[in-house]
Amino acid sequence: MMSVRVRAFARFRELFGDRLEVAVSSPAMIRDVVMALGQVNADGLLELLDGEGRVKNSVIILVNRERITGKGREEHPVADGDEVAIYPPVAGG
Amino acid sequence: MMRLRTIMFQDDYIVSTVPACTEMADMLWVSGLMLSERERERYTRQLPLIGEDGQERLRGASVCVAGAGGLGSPVLLYLAAAGVGRIRLVDPDRVERNNLNRQILHSEADIGRFKVESAAEKLRALNPDIEVEALPAAVDSGNASQMARGMDLLLDALDNYEGRYILNSAAFERKIPLVHAAVSGFHGQLTTVIPGKTACLQCAMPHPPEGEDTAIIGVTAGIVGLLQALEAIKILLRKGEIAGNVLLVWDGLWCRLDQIPLSRDPDCMVCGTGDYR
Repeated sequence: MMSVRVRAFARFRELFGDRLEVAVSSPAMIRDVVMALGQVNADGLLELLDGEGRVKNSVIILVNRERITGKGREEHPVADGDEVAIYPPVAGG
Repeated sequence: MMRLRTIMFQDDYIVSTVPACTEMADMLWVSGLMLSERERERYTRQLPLIGEDGQERLRGASVCVAGAGGLGSPVLLYLAAAGVGRIRLVDPDRVERNNLNRQILHSEADIGRFKVESAAEKLRALNPDIEVEALPAAVDSGNASQMARGMDLLLDALDNYEGRYILNSAAFERKIPLVHAAVSGFHGQLTTVIPGKTACLQCAMPHPPEGEDTAIIGVTAGIVGLLQALEAIKILLRKGEIAGNVLLVWDGLWCRLDQIPLSRDPDCMVCGTGDYR
C-alpha cells in the first residue's frame, strides 16, 4: 500500500474535506485514488462520476499541480506521496 | 468625440503629458478629453490611486458585459461607478422574481422587463457621464463577433457554456481580453484570457459541467462578480497582475481563494491546432 495526498477544491472540499490522505495499492493510477474517496464519502463519490462510472470529463484533475487531460487520464500513474487535486468547474452566472 | 477617445486609449496616449496651455486645456475639455469638474468630484477618492490619465483611460474604454444577472449585476454597477465610459450589456432574458436573491440591479418593480433595459436604467442613473448600450439578445455564433467589435474588453457573466465558448472564440478572433467567471452554491471561479498568450476558456475547460446548476447564495455572485470587475479595471488601467493562466476558485464556505494553474493547450480547437483531445 502507498499513501497519496488529495486536495479537494470548492464543492469537493465540502464533500471530502480540505486535505486528506488515501491509501491505495501500488502501482496506482488516478482512478484508484478517486475510487478511494468513496470510503470518505460514498454519496460524494457519485458527484465525481458520470453515468458510466467514469470520472466526469468536466472535472479538473492535477497531479503534483500538473493538469492531467485526455481520454486516458484516469489511467495516469500516481506514486507514493503524490498530490492529486480535484476541482469541479461551475456554470452559473 | 468617441473616436478620439478610442484612439487615445489604443495609442496609450496620456493627456496629462500635453504641455500646459489654457487654450489647449479648454479645447480638450470641450471635446471631452479632460475630466469635467463633476467627474473630478465624482472620482475624488480614486483619482489619487489611478491619476487623471487612469481615469481618462477608464472613460475612454469600451467594455462588453455578456449577462446582466447574478454576476453581471455587481460587475455592471462597479464598472459604471468607476467611470468606464462605454458599457455594452447583452442579455436576452426578462427579470423574474426568483432572480432577486442575487441580481441586485433589478427589483420587484422590474419583473417582466428585459434585464438589459432594467440594468441600463439603473446604470444611467448611477453615472450619467457614461454611455450604456443595451442589447436584449443571446450571445450566439451569428452575433458574437459583431458584439465584440470595437470593444477593449469582454466580460463573461453568462450562465451557460455554449454562450461562453462562443464569446471565447469572438475574443480570440478579435484579439480582445476576456474575463470569465462562473458561480454555483457557495463557490465561484474566474480566469482572464489574453488571446494567444494565456489559456483560453476552451483550454481551461474543454468539457463543460453537465446538468442544471442553479442553486446559489446571492453573495457568491456578488463576491465573484466583484473580483471580475476588479480584474476588468486592472486590465483597463494596466495595473497589477492579471489572473491569466490560473483559475481563481472562491470557496465561500471555507473563506478560501485558491489558484489552480492553467496552461495553453497546443491542441486547443480555438487557440491551438485544433487536434481532438
